[in-house]
Amino acid sequence: MNASKALEKTLVASPERKLEADADLAIVRRVQGGDVAAFDQLVFKYRERMVGVIYNMTSNREDAADLAQDAFIKAFQSIHRFEGQASFFTWLYRIGVNSTLSHLRKNRMRSFFSLETVRGDDPVSREVIDALTDKTGAGRDAFIGELQEKLNDAMQKLSINHRTVVSLFEIDGLSHQEIAEVMDCSVGTVRSRLHYAKQLLQAELQPYLRQ
Amino acid sequence: MKQDTNRKITVEDLLAIKRAERPPAEFWASFESELRAKQLAAIVGKKSWRDTLPRIFTAVYRYHLPFGAVAALALTWAGIHYSSVSVDTVRTVPGAEARPSAHLPVPASTVVQAAERSVRAPEQARVAQPESVRAPAAAADSLVNAAPASKAPRTAIGTRFSDVVAATLADFRENQPELARRDIFSSDREFETTVESMRQAASEPLARLDPAAEERNSRLLESALPAYGSSSGSATLASERVRERASNDRMYESMDPYESSGRTSLEIRF
Repeated sequence: MNASKALEKTLVASPERKLEADADLAIVRRVQGGDVAAFDQLVFKYRERMVGVIYNMTSNREDAADLAQDAFIKAFQSIHRFEGQASFFTWLYRIGVNSTLSHLRKNRMRSFFSLETVRGDDPVSREVIDALTDKTGAGRDAFIGELQEKLNDAMQKLSINHRTVVSLFEIDGLSHQEIAEVMDCSVGTVRSRLHYAKQLLQAELQPYLRQ
Repeated sequence: MKQDTNRKITVEDLLAIKRAERPPAEFWASFESELRAKQLAAIVGKKSWRDTLPRIFTAVYRYHLPFGAVAALALTWAGIHYSSVSVDTVRTVPGAEARPSAHLPVPASTVVQAAERSVRAPEQARVAQPESVRAPAAAADSLVNAAPASKAPRTAIGTRFSDVVAATLADFRENQPELARRDIFSSDREFETTVESMRQAASEPLARLDPAAEERNSRLLESALPAYGSSSGSATLASERVRERASNDRMYESMDPYESSGRTSLEIRF
Protein backbone atom coordinates (compact mmCIF):
# COMPACT_ATOMS: atom_id res chain seq x y z
CA MET A 1 0.00 0.00 0.00
CA ASN A 2 2.76 2.38 1.00
CA ALA A 3 4.76 1.41 -2.09
CA SER A 4 1.83 2.17 -4.37
CA LYS A 5 1.30 5.55 -2.69
CA ALA A 6 4.96 6.38 -3.14
CA LEU A 7 4.76 5.35 -6.76
CA GLU A 8 1.68 7.49 -7.28
CA LYS A 9 3.47 10.42 -5.75
CA THR A 10 6.28 10.11 -8.22
CA LEU A 11 3.89 9.87 -11.14
CA VAL A 12 1.27 12.55 -10.54
CA ALA A 13 1.15 15.82 -8.69
CA SER A 14 0.09 15.69 -5.06
CA PRO A 15 -3.30 17.11 -3.90
CA GLU A 16 -1.47 19.82 -1.97
CA ARG A 17 0.15 20.92 -5.17
CA LYS A 18 -3.23 21.02 -6.89
CA LEU A 19 -4.57 23.30 -4.16
CA GLU A 20 -1.48 25.40 -4.54
CA ALA A 21 -2.08 25.61 -8.28
CA ASP A 22 -5.63 26.88 -7.70
CA ALA A 23 -4.38 29.57 -5.35
CA ASP A 24 -1.73 30.58 -7.89
CA LEU A 25 -4.31 30.80 -10.62
CA ALA A 26 -6.36 33.25 -8.57
CA ILE A 27 -3.29 35.47 -8.16
CA VAL A 28 -2.49 35.18 -11.84
CA ARG A 29 -6.02 36.30 -12.74
CA ARG A 30 -5.51 39.36 -10.56
CA VAL A 31 -2.26 40.19 -12.33
CA GLN A 32 -3.93 39.69 -15.69
CA GLY A 33 -6.68 42.04 -14.52
CA GLY A 34 -4.15 44.81 -13.92
CA ASP A 35 -3.05 44.23 -10.31
CA VAL A 36 0.68 44.24 -11.05
CA ALA A 37 1.64 44.21 -7.38
CA ALA A 38 0.02 40.80 -6.97
CA PHE A 39 2.86 39.33 -8.99
CA ASP A 40 5.17 40.00 -6.01
CA GLN A 41 3.32 37.30 -4.09
CA LEU A 42 4.21 34.78 -6.75
CA VAL A 43 7.81 35.94 -6.78
CA PHE A 44 8.07 35.65 -3.03
CA LYS A 45 6.47 32.22 -3.06
CA TYR A 46 8.63 30.66 -5.75
CA ARG A 47 11.92 32.50 -5.67
CA GLU A 48 13.71 30.04 -3.37
CA ARG A 49 12.62 27.01 -5.31
CA MET A 50 13.40 28.64 -8.61
CA VAL A 51 16.87 29.70 -7.51
CA GLY A 52 17.40 26.25 -5.97
CA VAL A 53 16.54 24.40 -9.16
CA ILE A 54 18.68 26.67 -11.31
CA TYR A 55 21.53 26.54 -8.81
CA ASN A 56 21.49 22.75 -8.93
CA MET A 57 21.64 22.91 -12.70
CA THR A 58 24.40 25.51 -12.93
CA SER A 59 26.23 25.05 -9.61
CA ASN A 60 26.79 28.81 -9.63
CA ARG A 61 24.99 31.23 -7.35
CA GLU A 62 25.32 34.36 -9.49
CA ASP A 63 24.14 32.61 -12.62
CA ALA A 64 21.26 31.11 -10.67
CA ALA A 65 20.21 34.53 -9.40
CA ASP A 66 20.38 36.12 -12.86
CA LEU A 67 18.53 33.30 -14.56
CA ALA A 68 15.83 33.18 -11.89
CA GLN A 69 15.30 36.94 -12.21
CA ASP A 70 15.08 36.64 -15.97
CA ALA A 71 12.56 33.84 -15.59
CA PHE A 72 10.38 35.98 -13.35
CA ILE A 73 10.61 38.91 -15.76
CA LYS A 74 9.69 36.71 -18.71
CA ALA A 75 6.78 35.26 -16.78
CA PHE A 76 5.62 38.77 -15.87
CA GLN A 77 5.86 39.97 -19.46
CA SER A 78 3.94 37.06 -20.88
CA ILE A 79 1.50 36.41 -18.07
CA HIS A 80 -1.38 37.55 -20.27
CA ARG A 81 -0.74 34.43 -22.36
CA PHE A 82 -1.08 32.09 -19.40
CA GLU A 83 -4.43 30.37 -19.83
CA GLY A 84 -4.43 28.15 -16.76
CA GLN A 85 -4.31 24.81 -18.55
CA ALA A 86 -1.17 23.88 -16.63
CA SER A 87 -0.34 25.00 -13.10
CA PHE A 88 1.47 28.31 -12.75
CA PHE A 89 4.49 26.81 -11.08
CA THR A 90 4.90 24.27 -13.93
CA TRP A 91 4.70 27.14 -16.40
CA LEU A 92 7.17 29.20 -14.38
CA TYR A 93 9.53 26.26 -14.02
CA ARG A 94 9.36 25.68 -17.72
CA ILE A 95 10.44 29.25 -18.40
CA GLY A 96 13.26 29.00 -15.87
CA VAL A 97 14.46 25.58 -16.99
CA ASN A 98 14.41 26.53 -20.66
CA SER A 99 16.36 29.73 -19.95
CA THR A 100 18.88 27.74 -17.94
CA LEU A 101 19.22 25.06 -20.59
CA SER A 102 19.91 27.64 -23.30
CA HIS A 103 22.37 29.40 -20.96
CA LEU A 104 24.20 26.15 -20.26
CA ARG A 105 24.34 25.28 -23.95
CA LYS A 106 25.78 28.68 -24.75
CA ASN A 107 28.37 28.49 -21.98
CA ARG A 108 29.43 24.86 -22.10
CA MET A 109 33.08 25.64 -21.66
CA ARG A 110 32.63 28.21 -18.90
CA SER A 111 31.96 26.78 -15.47
CA PHE A 112 32.55 28.54 -12.17
CA PHE A 113 31.22 26.66 -9.20
CA SER A 114 30.15 28.19 -5.94
CA LEU A 115 29.02 26.47 -2.77
CA GLU A 116 25.99 27.38 -0.74
CA THR A 117 25.66 26.89 2.98
CA VAL A 118 24.07 23.60 4.03
CA ARG A 119 21.27 24.32 6.46
CA GLY A 120 21.91 22.71 9.79
CA ASP A 121 18.25 22.43 10.68
CA ASP A 122 17.43 20.09 7.83
CA PRO A 123 16.97 16.66 9.50
CA VAL A 124 17.70 14.47 6.49
CA SER A 125 20.96 16.15 5.58
CA ARG A 126 22.07 16.28 9.22
CA GLU A 127 21.38 12.57 9.59
CA VAL A 128 23.35 11.73 6.46
CA ILE A 129 26.29 13.87 7.49
CA ASP A 130 26.23 12.35 10.97
CA ALA A 131 26.35 8.90 9.41
CA LEU A 132 29.30 9.81 7.21
CA THR A 133 31.53 11.58 9.72
CA ASP A 134 32.09 11.72 13.44
CA LYS A 135 34.03 14.96 13.26
CA THR A 136 32.83 18.14 14.90
CA GLY A 137 33.54 21.83 14.44
CA ALA A 138 35.96 22.79 11.67
CA GLY A 139 36.58 19.18 10.68
CA ARG A 140 32.89 18.63 10.11
CA ASP A 141 32.60 21.83 8.06
CA ALA A 142 35.57 20.78 5.94
CA PHE A 143 34.01 17.40 5.33
CA ILE A 144 30.70 18.99 4.31
CA GLY A 145 32.54 21.31 1.91
CA GLU A 146 34.39 18.37 0.39
CA LEU A 147 31.15 16.41 0.00
CA GLN A 148 29.45 19.40 -1.64
CA GLU A 149 32.29 19.69 -4.13
CA LYS A 150 32.05 16.01 -4.94
CA LEU A 151 28.31 16.30 -5.42
CA ASN A 152 28.73 19.33 -7.70
CA ASP A 153 31.40 17.55 -9.72
CA ALA A 154 29.21 14.47 -10.10
CA MET A 155 26.24 16.58 -11.16
CA GLN A 156 28.32 18.50 -13.69
CA LYS A 157 29.47 15.25 -15.24
CA LEU A 158 25.88 14.49 -16.18
CA SER A 159 24.46 15.84 -19.39
CA ILE A 160 22.29 18.93 -19.17
CA ASN A 161 19.04 17.01 -19.56
CA HIS A 162 20.00 14.32 -17.06
CA ARG A 163 21.10 16.95 -14.57
CA THR A 164 17.81 18.79 -14.98
CA VAL A 165 15.77 15.66 -14.38
CA VAL A 166 17.74 14.79 -11.25
CA SER A 167 17.44 18.34 -9.95
CA LEU A 168 13.71 18.49 -10.50
CA PHE A 169 12.95 15.03 -9.13
CA GLU A 170 15.43 14.41 -6.33
CA ILE A 171 16.05 17.92 -5.09
CA ASP A 172 12.88 19.83 -5.88
CA GLY A 173 10.49 16.90 -5.53
CA LEU A 174 8.49 17.23 -8.74
CA SER A 175 6.61 14.20 -10.04
CA HIS A 176 7.47 12.47 -13.31
CA GLN A 177 4.41 13.99 -14.91
CA GLU A 178 5.35 17.49 -13.82
CA ILE A 179 8.90 17.06 -15.02
CA ALA A 180 7.59 15.84 -18.36
CA GLU A 181 5.46 18.99 -18.61
CA VAL A 182 8.33 21.24 -17.63
CA MET A 183 10.82 19.64 -20.01
CA ASP A 184 8.28 19.06 -22.77
CA CYS A 185 9.00 15.36 -23.12
CA SER A 186 7.27 12.08 -22.30
CA VAL A 187 7.08 10.49 -18.86
CA GLY A 188 9.01 7.50 -20.20
CA THR A 189 11.85 9.77 -21.24
CA VAL A 190 11.89 11.29 -17.78
CA ARG A 191 12.11 7.86 -16.16
CA SER A 192 14.87 6.60 -18.40
CA ARG A 193 16.87 9.79 -17.91
CA LEU A 194 16.42 9.53 -14.18
CA HIS A 195 17.51 5.91 -14.11
CA TYR A 196 20.60 6.58 -16.22
CA ALA A 197 21.54 9.67 -14.21
CA LYS A 198 21.31 7.77 -10.92
CA GLN A 199 23.56 5.05 -12.24
CA LEU A 200 26.18 7.62 -13.21
CA LEU A 201 25.89 9.39 -9.87
CA GLN A 202 26.24 6.10 -8.06
CA ALA A 203 29.47 5.40 -9.89
CA GLU A 204 30.81 8.88 -9.18
CA LEU A 205 29.87 8.95 -5.49
CA GLN A 206 30.81 5.38 -4.68
CA PRO A 207 33.21 6.31 -1.81
CA TYR A 208 30.38 7.97 0.09
CA LEU A 209 27.76 5.27 -0.41
CA ARG A 210 26.97 2.43 2.01
CA GLN A 211 24.92 -0.48 0.84
CA MET B 1 29.00 13.02 17.74
CA LYS B 2 28.98 9.31 17.16
CA GLN B 3 29.18 7.97 13.64
CA ASP B 4 26.26 5.72 12.74
CA THR B 5 28.02 2.98 10.82
CA ASN B 6 24.88 0.89 10.30
CA ARG B 7 22.96 3.49 8.34
CA LYS B 8 22.57 2.84 4.64
CA ILE B 9 23.65 5.80 2.45
CA THR B 10 22.21 6.03 -1.04
CA VAL B 11 22.49 8.52 -3.86
CA GLU B 12 19.14 9.97 -2.83
CA ASP B 13 20.51 10.60 0.66
CA LEU B 14 23.51 12.44 -0.70
CA LEU B 15 21.29 14.52 -2.97
CA ALA B 16 19.29 15.47 0.13
CA ILE B 17 22.35 17.45 1.21
CA LYS B 18 22.03 19.51 -1.94
CA ARG B 19 18.38 20.07 -1.12
CA ALA B 20 19.46 21.61 2.16
CA GLU B 21 21.77 24.12 0.48
CA ARG B 22 20.41 27.62 0.89
CA PRO B 23 21.89 31.01 0.04
CA PRO B 24 22.44 33.48 2.92
CA ALA B 25 19.81 36.06 3.86
CA GLU B 26 21.65 39.00 2.27
CA PHE B 27 21.45 37.19 -1.07
CA TRP B 28 17.70 37.66 -1.11
CA ALA B 29 17.96 41.38 -0.43
CA SER B 30 20.14 41.92 -3.49
CA PHE B 31 18.00 39.49 -5.48
CA GLU B 32 14.91 41.53 -4.66
CA SER B 33 16.47 44.87 -5.62
CA GLU B 34 17.89 43.51 -8.88
CA LEU B 35 14.57 41.96 -9.76
CA ARG B 36 12.80 45.28 -9.12
CA ALA B 37 15.24 47.09 -11.39
CA LYS B 38 14.82 44.52 -14.15
CA GLN B 39 11.06 44.55 -13.78
CA LEU B 40 11.01 48.34 -14.05
CA ALA B 41 13.25 48.25 -17.10
CA ALA B 42 10.98 45.66 -18.67
CA ILE B 43 7.91 47.81 -18.04
CA VAL B 44 9.49 51.08 -19.19
CA GLY B 45 11.70 49.83 -22.01
CA LYS B 46 10.04 49.43 -25.35
CA LYS B 47 11.07 46.75 -27.74
CA SER B 48 12.38 47.90 -31.08
CA TRP B 49 11.23 46.34 -34.35
CA ARG B 50 14.57 44.49 -34.54
CA ASP B 51 13.69 42.56 -31.39
CA THR B 52 10.40 41.42 -32.86
CA LEU B 53 11.88 40.29 -36.17
CA PRO B 54 13.29 36.96 -34.93
CA ARG B 55 9.93 36.14 -33.35
CA ILE B 56 8.14 36.91 -36.61
CA PHE B 57 10.55 34.77 -38.60
CA THR B 58 10.17 31.96 -36.10
CA ALA B 59 6.40 32.14 -36.40
CA VAL B 60 6.57 32.25 -40.18
CA TYR B 61 9.05 29.37 -40.26
CA ARG B 62 6.73 27.28 -38.14
CA TYR B 63 4.00 27.65 -40.76
CA HIS B 64 6.21 27.64 -43.85
CA LEU B 65 4.40 24.67 -45.41
CA PRO B 66 0.89 26.20 -45.23
CA PHE B 67 2.27 29.56 -46.39
CA GLY B 68 3.97 27.90 -49.34
CA ALA B 69 0.86 25.98 -50.26
CA VAL B 70 -1.30 29.12 -50.10
CA ALA B 71 1.23 31.05 -52.21
CA ALA B 72 1.31 28.29 -54.82
CA LEU B 73 -2.49 28.18 -54.91
CA ALA B 74 -2.68 31.96 -55.25
CA LEU B 75 -0.18 31.95 -58.11
CA THR B 76 -2.05 29.16 -59.85
CA TRP B 77 -5.36 30.95 -59.46
CA ALA B 78 -3.89 34.23 -60.69
CA GLY B 79 -2.37 32.53 -63.69
CA ILE B 80 -5.61 30.81 -64.64
CA HIS B 81 -7.69 33.92 -63.96
CA TYR B 82 -5.57 36.31 -66.03
CA SER B 83 -5.12 33.89 -68.89
CA SER B 84 -8.91 33.48 -69.12
CA VAL B 85 -9.39 37.27 -68.90
CA SER B 86 -6.92 37.84 -71.73
CA VAL B 87 -8.64 35.25 -73.91
CA ASP B 88 -12.02 36.85 -73.22
CA THR B 89 -10.78 40.35 -74.02
CA VAL B 90 -9.48 39.29 -77.42
CA ARG B 91 -13.04 39.01 -78.61
CA THR B 92 -13.68 42.63 -77.65
CA VAL B 93 -10.78 44.24 -79.56
CA PRO B 94 -12.25 46.57 -82.25
CA GLY B 95 -11.94 45.25 -85.76
CA ALA B 96 -10.84 41.89 -84.51
CA GLU B 97 -13.12 40.07 -86.89
CA ALA B 98 -11.47 41.72 -89.90
CA ARG B 99 -8.00 40.12 -89.46
CA PRO B 100 -7.22 36.64 -88.32
CA SER B 101 -4.18 37.79 -86.35
CA ALA B 102 -6.39 39.99 -84.18
CA HIS B 103 -8.09 36.90 -82.79
CA LEU B 104 -5.01 36.04 -80.81
CA PRO B 105 -5.00 36.44 -77.03
CA VAL B 106 -3.79 39.89 -76.02
CA PRO B 107 -2.08 40.66 -72.70
CA ALA B 108 -4.23 42.67 -70.35
CA SER B 109 -1.89 45.70 -70.30
CA THR B 110 -1.87 45.96 -74.09
CA VAL B 111 -5.61 45.76 -74.18
CA VAL B 112 -5.88 48.49 -71.56
CA GLN B 113 -3.59 50.81 -73.50
CA ALA B 114 -5.50 50.25 -76.70
CA ALA B 115 -8.73 50.78 -74.86
CA GLU B 116 -7.55 54.05 -73.33
CA ARG B 117 -6.48 55.37 -76.72
CA SER B 118 -9.65 54.31 -78.38
CA VAL B 119 -11.72 55.88 -75.64
CA ARG B 120 -10.00 59.19 -76.26
CA ALA B 121 -11.49 59.29 -79.72
CA PRO B 122 -14.45 61.64 -79.75
CA GLU B 123 -16.93 59.35 -81.39
CA GLN B 124 -16.19 56.52 -78.95
CA ALA B 125 -15.85 58.71 -75.84
CA ARG B 126 -19.56 59.37 -75.97
CA VAL B 127 -20.24 55.68 -75.60
CA ALA B 128 -17.53 54.56 -73.17
CA GLN B 129 -17.49 55.36 -69.42
CA PRO B 130 -14.19 57.08 -68.29
CA GLU B 131 -14.14 55.36 -64.87
CA SER B 132 -14.55 51.95 -66.34
CA VAL B 133 -11.49 52.41 -68.57
CA ARG B 134 -9.12 52.41 -65.57
CA ALA B 135 -9.81 48.88 -64.48
CA PRO B 136 -8.72 46.07 -66.78
CA ALA B 137 -11.94 44.18 -66.50
CA ALA B 138 -14.01 47.31 -66.92
CA ALA B 139 -11.90 48.32 -69.88
CA ALA B 140 -12.92 45.17 -71.61
CA ASP B 141 -16.57 46.07 -70.93
CA SER B 142 -16.14 49.54 -72.38
CA LEU B 143 -14.54 48.03 -75.44
CA VAL B 144 -17.53 45.81 -75.79
CA ASN B 145 -19.74 48.92 -75.74
CA ALA B 146 -17.52 50.85 -78.12
CA ALA B 147 -16.81 48.12 -80.61
CA PRO B 148 -19.29 46.44 -82.84
CA ALA B 149 -20.43 43.09 -81.63
CA SER B 150 -17.72 40.68 -82.64
CA LYS B 151 -18.19 36.99 -82.90
CA ALA B 152 -14.52 36.05 -83.07
CA PRO B 153 -13.80 32.46 -82.20
CA ARG B 154 -11.63 31.58 -79.23
CA THR B 155 -8.00 30.78 -80.23
CA ALA B 156 -5.15 28.94 -78.60
CA ILE B 157 -3.45 30.66 -75.66
CA GLY B 158 0.11 29.80 -76.55
CA THR B 159 0.45 32.16 -79.55
CA ARG B 160 3.46 34.36 -80.07
CA PHE B 161 3.51 37.69 -78.30
CA SER B 162 4.92 39.50 -81.36
CA ASP B 163 1.81 38.59 -83.36
CA VAL B 164 -0.34 40.02 -80.64
CA VAL B 165 1.63 43.28 -80.57
CA ALA B 166 1.47 43.53 -84.35
CA ALA B 167 -2.28 43.05 -84.31
CA THR B 168 -2.71 45.67 -81.60
CA LEU B 169 -0.56 48.17 -83.49
CA ALA B 170 -2.48 47.55 -86.67
CA ASP B 171 -5.72 48.22 -84.83
CA PHE B 172 -4.30 51.35 -83.34
CA ARG B 173 -3.10 52.69 -86.67
CA GLU B 174 -6.42 51.99 -88.26
CA ASN B 175 -8.49 53.63 -85.54
CA GLN B 176 -6.17 56.54 -84.72
CA PRO B 177 -4.30 57.57 -87.88
CA GLU B 178 -3.48 61.07 -86.57
CA LEU B 179 -2.03 59.81 -83.31
CA ALA B 180 -0.22 57.01 -85.06
CA ARG B 181 1.49 59.41 -87.45
CA ARG B 182 2.81 61.46 -84.55
CA ASP B 183 3.89 58.47 -82.58
CA ILE B 184 7.43 57.14 -82.65
CA PHE B 185 6.46 53.84 -84.23
CA SER B 186 4.27 55.32 -86.94
CA SER B 187 6.68 54.04 -89.57
CA ASP B 188 9.90 52.08 -89.40
CA ARG B 189 11.63 54.42 -91.82
CA GLU B 190 10.86 57.45 -89.69
CA PHE B 191 12.43 55.88 -86.63
CA GLU B 192 15.63 55.09 -88.55
CA THR B 193 15.98 58.57 -90.00
CA THR B 194 15.59 60.07 -86.56
CA VAL B 195 18.43 57.94 -85.23
CA GLU B 196 20.60 58.74 -88.24
CA SER B 197 20.16 62.46 -87.80
CA MET B 198 21.08 62.10 -84.14
CA ARG B 199 24.27 60.28 -85.11
CA GLN B 200 25.27 63.06 -87.52
CA ALA B 201 24.70 65.70 -84.93
CA ALA B 202 26.93 63.81 -82.55
CA SER B 203 29.85 63.84 -85.00
CA GLU B 204 29.64 67.55 -85.73
CA PRO B 205 30.89 69.37 -82.56
CA LEU B 206 34.49 69.50 -83.85
CA ALA B 207 33.29 71.50 -86.83
CA ARG B 208 31.39 73.81 -84.55
CA LEU B 209 34.51 75.16 -82.78
CA ASP B 210 34.50 78.91 -82.39
CA PRO B 211 37.40 80.48 -84.43
CA ALA B 212 37.46 83.54 -82.21
CA ALA B 213 37.88 81.41 -79.11
CA GLU B 214 40.62 79.40 -80.79
CA GLU B 215 42.48 82.59 -81.66
CA ARG B 216 42.19 83.82 -78.09
CA ASN B 217 43.50 80.52 -76.75
CA SER B 218 46.47 80.68 -79.12
CA ARG B 219 47.27 84.17 -77.96
CA LEU B 220 47.20 83.21 -74.30
CA LEU B 221 49.30 80.11 -74.87
CA GLU B 222 51.81 82.12 -76.89
CA SER B 223 52.35 84.45 -73.98
CA ALA B 224 52.75 81.54 -71.58
CA LEU B 225 54.77 79.21 -73.86
CA PRO B 226 57.07 81.03 -76.32
CA ALA B 227 57.57 77.98 -78.51
CA TYR B 228 53.82 77.63 -79.09
CA GLY B 229 53.36 80.89 -81.01
CA SER B 230 55.40 80.30 -84.16
CA SER B 231 54.41 77.46 -86.37
CA SER B 232 58.04 77.00 -87.39
CA GLY B 233 59.01 76.65 -83.71
CA SER B 234 56.40 74.01 -83.10
CA ALA B 235 57.47 72.20 -86.25
CA THR B 236 61.08 72.26 -85.03
CA LEU B 237 60.05 70.79 -81.69
CA ALA B 238 58.08 68.06 -83.43
CA SER B 239 60.96 67.11 -85.69
CA GLU B 240 63.30 66.99 -82.69
CA ARG B 241 60.90 64.69 -80.87
CA VAL B 242 60.71 62.38 -83.89
CA ARG B 243 64.47 62.23 -84.19
CA GLU B 244 64.90 61.53 -80.49
CA ARG B 245 62.35 58.70 -80.64
CA ALA B 246 64.11 57.20 -83.68
CA SER B 247 67.47 57.25 -81.91
CA ASN B 248 65.93 55.61 -78.85
CA ASP B 249 64.48 52.90 -81.05
CA ARG B 250 67.85 52.25 -82.61
CA MET B 251 69.42 52.03 -79.19
CA TYR B 252 66.93 49.43 -78.01
CA GLU B 253 67.35 47.45 -81.23
CA SER B 254 71.12 47.47 -80.81
CA MET B 255 70.86 45.79 -77.43
CA ASP B 256 71.30 42.03 -77.41
CA PRO B 257 69.04 40.77 -74.69
CA TYR B 258 70.09 37.13 -75.15
CA GLU B 259 73.86 37.86 -75.09
CA SER B 260 74.31 35.66 -78.15
CA SER B 261 77.86 36.91 -78.64
CA GLY B 262 78.89 35.53 -75.26
CA ARG B 263 80.13 38.86 -73.97
CA THR B 264 79.08 40.04 -70.59
CA SER B 265 79.27 43.74 -71.40
CA LEU B 266 76.40 45.62 -73.02
CA GLU B 267 77.20 47.15 -76.40
CA ILE B 268 75.43 50.35 -77.18
CA ARG B 269 75.75 52.06 -80.54
CA PHE B 270 74.70 55.60 -81.22
